[in-house]
Amino acid sequence: MDAMEPWNLWMYLFCSLAAVCLCLIWIVPTPRGRGLRGVGLGAALVPAATLCVLAFGVTAPTWTFQVTAIFADGHSVTSGGSLLPGASQLEAFWLAVAIVVAASVFTLVASRQAAYLAAITLLAFGLWQAYVALKLHAGLVGGYYWYDFMLRWTDRLAVWLVALASVASGSLLAARTIVADALGRRSGLTAQVQRLTLTRAAAVDAAAAELRRLERDLHDGAQARLVALGINLRAAERLIRTSPDDAATLVAECRETSAQALAELRNLVRGIYPPVLADRGLGDAVRALVLDCPVPVAAEIDLPGRPPTPVESAVYFAIAEVLNNVAKHADATRALVRLGYADGILRAEVTDDGNGGADPGNGTGLAGIERRLSAFDGILAVNSPIGGPTIIIIEVPCALSSPKISTS
Amino acid sequence: MRVVLAEDLYLLRTGLEKLLAAHGFDVIEAVDSGPALLDALVRRQPDVAVVDVRLPPTFTDEGLRAAIEARRQVPGLPVLVLSQYVEQLYARELLADRAGAVGYLLKDRVFNDDQFTDAIRTVARGGTVMDPEVVGKLLGRRARDEPVARLTAREREVLALMAEGRSNSAIAQRLSISEKAVSKHSTSIFTKLDLAPSEDDNRRVLAVLAYLNA
Repeated sequence: MDAMEPWNLWMYLFCSLAAVCLCLIWIVPTPRGRGLRGVGLGAALVPAATLCVLAFGVTAPTWTFQVTAIFADGHSVTSGGSLLPGASQLEAFWLAVAIVVAASVFTLVASRQAAYLAAITLLAFGLWQAYVALKLHAGLVGGYYWYDFMLRWTDRLAVWLVALASVASGSLLAARTIVADALGRRSGLTAQVQRLTLTRAAAVDAAAAELRRLERDLHDGAQARLVALGINLRAAERLIRTSPDDAATLVAECRETSAQALAELRNLVRGIYPPVLADRGLGDAVRALVLDCPVPVAAEIDLPGRPPTPVESAVYFAIAEVLNNVAKHADATRALVRLGYADGILRAEVTDDGNGGADPGNGTGLAGIERRLSAFDGILAVNSPIGGPTIIIIEVPCALSSPKISTS
Repeated sequence: MRVVLAEDLYLLRTGLEKLLAAHGFDVIEAVDSGPALLDALVRRQPDVAVVDVRLPPTFTDEGLRAAIEARRQVPGLPVLVLSQYVEQLYARELLADRAGAVGYLLKDRVFNDDQFTDAIRTVARGGTVMDPEVVGKLLGRRARDEPVARLTAREREVLALMAEGRSNSAIAQRLSISEKAVSKHSTSIFTKLDLAPSEDDNRRVLAVLAYLNA
């Protein structure tokens, strides 16, 4: 039987590590982004290191080692030999580099658990090596063992095996990294495009619906009243000489009609862009909303500047809708509105002590708010267990402009 | 009565000038921007100012700001603010100094020139005039409160008219009841809301508004 060469064992250790690594790479989900690119780089280094092992010769002097085992009865057994027979220091060095790189790649790609697994494998192979070496040298081994075929193979073949395994795992890893990276970026971009398409369509739809509503309201409201006004004025004009009293009645009616037309236009304007929002910005507009709410609402507002107009408007109408729900459905005795800005995010929080059960899914205005906010990458979060309380959070990423100017 | 008028829309400005002149007011200056208004108010110190909330250069609440600033410099300067819309927030700001002599009305109220000029005179006399829409919102907000809920329907009507700044006789006329009945209701209201009674119309209005605004 051939002597047990530690070199062979290292080869097998590394080959099996590479195999385990390969398996795990395909099982464990890869990290995204920068980490992935680092992994790709590491993966490219493995075959490079292995090729170096192959390219640089086998000429340098070899290392030797000696192991002495002392048994309980006093006799000792010494086992010794070349650490890497037939391999140069350079080979050994590059092999070590390859192992380290492979292990780092392995750890990077796989999880911590995989790193533990690698450590356990290493330990098991080390123990196995010590066991075999001691057995052989103590002459305790007889017969033919199943692993003898390994021992008969040359060092050279082992190097080739390592090289093959490394190249294979490295290239596969590199390829997978590149593909996954590309796919990841692409699927990320695809998802974003889909999301943007949806939110843009929602925003366009909402704008169109809003314009239709305005058109209808103007047509049936103020416009119709102006027509009536014209007709009545003409009638008054005819009557003014013959029957001044009737004419006066008609003119009074005209005044009433024009007041109604004004009231309608006022409501319409409030729905398009509330004047107080235009005058004072989001903070005071929310204070005004809070004052108009029939439920007592406390307001804690801290805005160091003004968000962009469209964001202001969206958040204003969102808060208005939420407060409207509080007044109409929640049966609340009080509520709190918090409005603030931190880390590039405008955040509004409305809490009420009502009976809860608010759900964006069941036809309240919440779904509409969600759609409107999504056009700004904003979100609406609802926490409203049956029995209350309800907390609704609105967050929109945005920048604030110019410091606050307010009289209050 | 000397009036300073601030309105940036030419048609409305000339219309108001004519209306005021027809009712015997003397429009000593008609301005069309916030800074010009502040200057005119402080320099001319009119008997009363009629001010549009939205004025250049910002086209926001320039008129309101100028009016509040002028009243800071000339305490109690009578100002009647007109607007296309009314906000409780602005009403609060106008009432904040508790000096009276302020008014806050929708522009529509101009249609009824008698009531409108009455309002101007009330403000000039140091009274307070609030648009029914503001008062409605104020009452709506307090409707569930214990003391307001204790008022009878009639008392609530009287309270609303009082908050608008109307005198006892005007309230009596409006509700077709006697002045004596009005003062009885008003005593009852003040007791129920736990307010100190006052014979002075102006102070009574301010007390009611302060209560509703609290």
